[in-house]
This record gives sequence, structure tokens and C-alpha cells, in this order.
Amino acid sequence: MMRTAISILKKDLRMEFRSKESILAMWIFSLLIFVIFNFTFEVSRLVMLEIAPGLLWVAFVFSGMFGLNQSFALEKENGNLRAMALMPVDGGQIYVGKFFSVTIIMLMFEALIFPIFIIFYDLQLSLGMFRLIPVLLAGTIGFTSLGTILSAVAVHTRNQQILLSLLLWPLVSPIIIWSVTLTGMVLSGEVTEAFYPLLLRVGAFDVIFFTLSYMLFDFILED
Amino acid sequence: MSVPALEVLAISKDFGRIIALRGVSFSVQSGEFVSILGRNGAGKTTLLNIISGISRPSEGEVKLFGTDPSDRENKAKLAVISHEMFLYGNLTAIENLEYYSRIYNIPNAKQRVETVLNDVELTHRRFDLVATYSRGMTQRLTIARALLHEPSLLLLDEPFTGLDQHAIGMLITLLKKQKEMGRTILLTTHDLHTATELSDRYVVISKHKIVKDGLIADTNPDAIREKFFSADTGGIDL
Repeated sequence: MMRTAISILKKDLRMEFRSKESILAMWIFSLLIFVIFNFTFEVSRLVMLEIAPGLLWVAFVFSGMFGLNQSFALEKENGNLRAMALMPVDGGQIYVGKFFSVTIIMLMFEALIFPIFIIFYDLQLSLGMFRLIPVLLAGTIGFTSLGTILSAVAVHTRNQQILLSLLLWPLVSPIIIWSVTLTGMVLSGEVTEAFYPLLLRVGAFDVIFFTLSYMLFDFILED
Repeated sequence: MSVPALEVLAISKDFGRIIALRGVSFSVQSGEFVSILGRNGAGKTTLLNIISGISRPSEGEVKLFGTDPSDRENKAKLAVISHEMFLYGNLTAIENLEYYSRIYNIPNAKQRVETVLNDVELTHRRFDLVATYSRGMTQRLTIARALLHEPSLLLLDEPFTGLDQHAIGMLITLLKKQKEMGRTILLTTHDLHTATELSDRYVVISKHKIVKDGLIADTNPDAIREKFFSADTGGIDL
């Protein structure tokens, strides 16, 4: 049953590792954000801890938008989106394959950019930072689960990037806001009782977005 | 009598105020080779999109092998060749074909991939990225991809566009072979000569409707040309 999803995932990752187009562009874009903010604002460490989580997620989300656009732009080239619609498979399987490829590429980019973020903003590494792993995972999955299906909708239009932003931002905002809050708690070392319920809430949204997208993807592929 | 491979039942298709097809009906028996002739904008591509199940008609119904074209079983029996490649430029020929063979769950995939690459004379370039191929080579690989899962019904949308004489000759040979193998083939083309050479039957679409449905054997090609392809009749451009 997962054969199709795995085939699409392998194909996407193979193409990405060959061209490194998405990861490199996302990485450079995020680096620019960090550099500009770092040298523009001279703020105290306390203030920096306040703004750093938001900055980190701005970098993730804006770069992630590029990754999402790129994912289906590749399929649109040479009519591969039509080829997908013609495949004798469940559309949900295509969604799963695309979702995992986008998510893996985005998580790899996050792993590459996070050390730069730590260095630029002079943050202290501690064991408590491991709590960031579920936060980044949950936030990224929420963003990509919704982003993957909306990117497939937007790719049919001329103004793909504008439409994706318009559709995605209002829906994904709660997840991003909660992820920023959770990241702030971890970076400041002030993990309160609210941490796990909030993390669970992000996880619940992830499940809802993923399930709905899986069920609806068949309709998206039609002309 | 056996179920036709394809039944198009009074389909119409509008895109808002733009009419693409109006009350189109015809059927194609298994093993038949039918050419659909019509000028640009007549609705040929829209018709193939509806038949392949990626677009729905505004009215009417299409049946592939007696059932809905969007059924997964029908999709597995179908192949489309058009001016779009359905290939990834950043993958090699082998990688593209192996990807599709996994999607279509083809048994003995490696052997089948080698066979189709050999059929389109691309074995020597199988490890090269498709982005480095010429237009003709890309179209040959497109054909290989389409034939990979041995489809029962082949839909060809202007497949000769942009091909050189060698590639056209190869495609004609391959199509004749597919016809001999009993595959059902539906071809849209402007090329009356090729249509009469390959087809058993022709259907002419003009102004979004079928204006002629006849057997090639019963018709003089010159008469078809005179009646439907002449500029005086408002027919198809050559």
C-alpha cells in the first residue's frame, strides 16, 4: 500500500540530493535573515532571547515556503502533475510521498541552519535544548502537512507563490504561534507546565491537517 | 457482443462561457485504431483529458471497458502520450522508468525497462539525465514510459509534434506494432496522411462537435481531404 508513497519519496529525495536546489536556497535565505537581524539590532541578551524564537520560525517558515513551491513546481514541469493524476493509485498515497519528501528536506535544512542560529545569537547549549526536537518536529509537520496539499492546489494557478501564501498563512498561523511560544520556553530555559499541553495541541492539529489532506488529495489532482 | 473499450456518451464540456465540446458520442471497440481529426481548439485534447479521467465532462458520460475512467483498474490499463513528457529531467532514463514501474507495480521490472528502452533505441543513453536528451530522444523515452505497463488503451495527443523524420518513422513503426498486438489506440492528429496510414477509423471534430465518423477503408483519403481539410469548407488546417 505504501509502495507509491515510498517511490515518490525516493524520487524526490534523489532529485534534491542531485541538485541540492531547495536545501541550498533555503539555507542561504535563512542565513541572510540571521545576518541582517544580527547586525541591524544591537540588543541585550535578554531581549535577544525574546525575539530569537520568532526569528528562528520566520526563517523556517519563509524558507519552507520556497521548499513547498519547489516541490510541486517540479511536478508541473513536463506535465508530471498530469502523470500523477493518471496513476492507478490512491491520491492519498501521492500526498503521503510528497508530504514526507517536503518534511524530510525541511528537517534537514533546519538541522543545517540551527547551529548557525546558535552561533549568531550566542545561545547557550544545554541538555534542555533537546526539548526543541519535538517542538521543531511538531511545528514542521503541521506546516508541511497543510503546505503540501495547498501547494498542490496553488500549482494549478499562474500566481502559485502568492496563492500558496494566501491560503497557507491563515490556516497555519496557530501552529506557528504555538511553536514560537514553545521554542521560546526551551531557549530561555523556562519550561513551564503549559509546555506539554501546548505541544500536544500542536500535535493534534498535525494529525487533523494530515488526515484531512490525505482524504482530500484525490480531488486536488483532477483538472 | 463484447463491451467496447471506450464509450463516449453525449459528452459536453464548458470552461465557464467557453464551449470545448458539445454532445460528442462515439465508441471504440477493443483492438481498433481510431484517429480524431480536428483543427486547433476543436476540443481534441479536452476530449482525451475526459477519456483519461483527469477531467470531468460538464454533461454526458465516458466508459472505459464498461466502467468509470477514474477507476484505478482502468487507469492501470491506460497510457497517454502527448506533447508533455511525463518525465523528470533531473533523473536518468533508467531512474524514470524504474520509478514508473514501481508505481504501476510491474513484475520483472528490470527486464521490462530494458525491453522498452531497446524498443525505442535508447539503451546506450539509459544512464544519462533526461535533461540532456534531444526533443526526439525525449519523445522516444516518453513512448517507452507509456508502453512500460503494457496498456490496453493508448491515448495519443498530437504525438508527432516537434519530432524529426527518424523519430516519426520510429513512432509509426511502434504504433503499428502495438496495433498488431491488439491494443486499442486513439490518436489525435493534424496529419491526415499518418492518420490514414495507421487507423481503421477516423472521427472528425469541428466546432466542438463530431461532423464525420467513418472507416478509412471505405473512404478515399482525397475525399476526406477535400471535404474536411479544405480551407473552403472551414475544415481542418493542414
